[in-house]
Amino acid sequence: MRPTSLVREAVATAWATKVPTTLVCLLVAVMCATTLATVGRTAAAEAQVAQRLDTAGARVLVVSDARNGDLIPEVVVDQARGLSTTERAVGVVVPVDVTNAVIGPGGTRVPAWTIVGDLADVLTLTAGRWPGPGEALVSARAQRELGMDHPVGAVQVASASVVADHNVVGAFTPREPFGDYAAGVVIAAEPGTIADSLHVVVTDSSLAAPAQAAVIGLLDPPSFDAITVQSPVALADLQAEVAADLGTFGRTLLLGVLGAGALLIAIVVLADVLVRRQDLGRRRALGATRTTILTLVLARTLLPALLGAVIGTAAGLWIAGQWAATPPATFTAGTATLAVLAALASTLPPATYAAGRDPVRVLRTP
Amino acid sequence: MSHAFTPGKVTAVTGPSGRGKSTLLYILGLMLTPTRGRVLLGGEPVSAAADATRSRVRAARIGFVFQDASLDPSRVVLDSVIEPALYAGWSRKAARARGRVLLEQLGVAARADHRPGEISGGQGQRVAVCRALVTDPVVVLADEPTGNLDRDNAESVLRALSAATEAGTGEGGRARTVVVATHDPFVLDHADEVLAL
Repeated sequence: MRPTSLVREAVATAWATKVPTTLVCLLVAVMCATTLATVGRTAAAEAQVAQRLDTAGARVLVVSDARNGDLIPEVVVDQARGLSTTERAVGVVVPVDVTNAVIGPGGTRVPAWTIVGDLADVLTLTAGRWPGPGEALVSARAQRELGMDHPVGAVQVASASVVADHNVVGAFTPREPFGDYAAGVVIAAEPGTIADSLHVVVTDSSLAAPAQAAVIGLLDPPSFDAITVQSPVALADLQAEVAADLGTFGRTLLLGVLGAGALLIAIVVLADVLVRRQDLGRRRALGATRTTILTLVLARTLLPALLGAVIGTAAGLWIAGQWAATPPATFTAGTATLAVLAALASTLPPATYAAGRDPVRVLRTP
Repeated sequence: MSHAFTPGKVTAVTGPSGRGKSTLLYILGLMLTPTRGRVLLGGEPVSAAADATRSRVRAARIGFVFQDASLDPSRVVLDSVIEPALYAGWSRKAARARGRVLLEQLGVAARADHRPGEISGGQGQRVAVCRALVTDPVVVLADEPTGNLDRDNAESVLRALSAATEAGTGEGGRARTVVVATHDPFVLDHADEVLAL
């Protein structure tokens, strides 16, 4: 039988047997809609977890020199920056308070961080120029609090023991995960400055553990308590576990929905095959091969299943949209494909049964 | 038994109920495989062939007329007529053209676009004869084709089957062989040969 004739026969038969056709369409639509509205929500949550896991804030590793042991000189910062697992790295000196040098010690105090390394790793220049060693940039908020009309002037360290002025040469906005710097001033470190902590943004949260090991190796601390580590490894592990749990739950639910739907479709198709045994027997007697019958029954299911997948996917996306948990496109496409494949797989046993029936038995008139 | 059915003649297979008339017909039609012996079609053994091969032979070279016409109730008459041709690999266009010619010859062309429920039993059986002839087969097998018909309609169907033997071009222009399983004396009167079981 020619493929075009077979498709036409399948369409005509599906149209003629409206009850099973509608049931198959409805079941596949329910499978898709239910999956997208339930498992899809889980998939959306899994995607959100993965997205959070990938933000810079979740990828920052902070190693602090706990005993002022001069463990983080400029060269270590440069080496950390050069690691393949590193996206950005800077050394940071413990912040000090500064005031507007024009006003003096009585002025409003804002924090100032001295940065060892490339300032572009922690901020974006919004006005003025990049500072040279010992020069500073001011955030918009700190500029207001310091009483500066423009991001130019100078700040002085508000300390009785330290006397230092830093020229302000521009303004900045901080890059994540250095959002705290929006509260104050950032100073470019003088050559030879030793940082108190090393901030490393790793390229991927999954690389947190090897990155941590590599960075600690660079510092080479004399003892374990010489440094303190704030690591994204535990967070990454926790979030990975949450994502895995969500994934397992989603897969179980998906299998349940698809399995139940497939079973119901198999029952509908089997009932249809039994009701139409005279029709199938006549076809066999008139020359339809077993393969033709098998393909015909499968195609009769495929057509309403495709329609059901489209309807169910649209309905499922609408429901998921109402809950603000639209599943990823790949998940949506995968669900529709799986539903259609499940419908076809469940049709295979009754289709095989139909193809294997003895035409003589069904044609004999009692 | 051993029997050679004669092309160009209507052979009636008769006998009491349960003697195997229909079984013989189904064996000749390659729907049943004989436990012993073989069926030759044009000198070629076909009964032991694979199922797919027998199906193809059935579609292309053997026509069937069942007792109750067995037309698809959900399709129009013309669609039922062309069914074997589609299984034999014909294009739908060619099959429909051939189907219309046959319906015209058997006087049911006006019913081509009607459903089986909208035509009489006699017309339905003539449509079944059209379906049996659509692929221009070398053999036509009919199982009690007049069992459900009144005398006039039965005569009409028998005339059509008889005409099929003469009109058949078959393979190599040979006349068709028509075998009818029946216990109806009226059919036996119209048969060219009678094979009693």
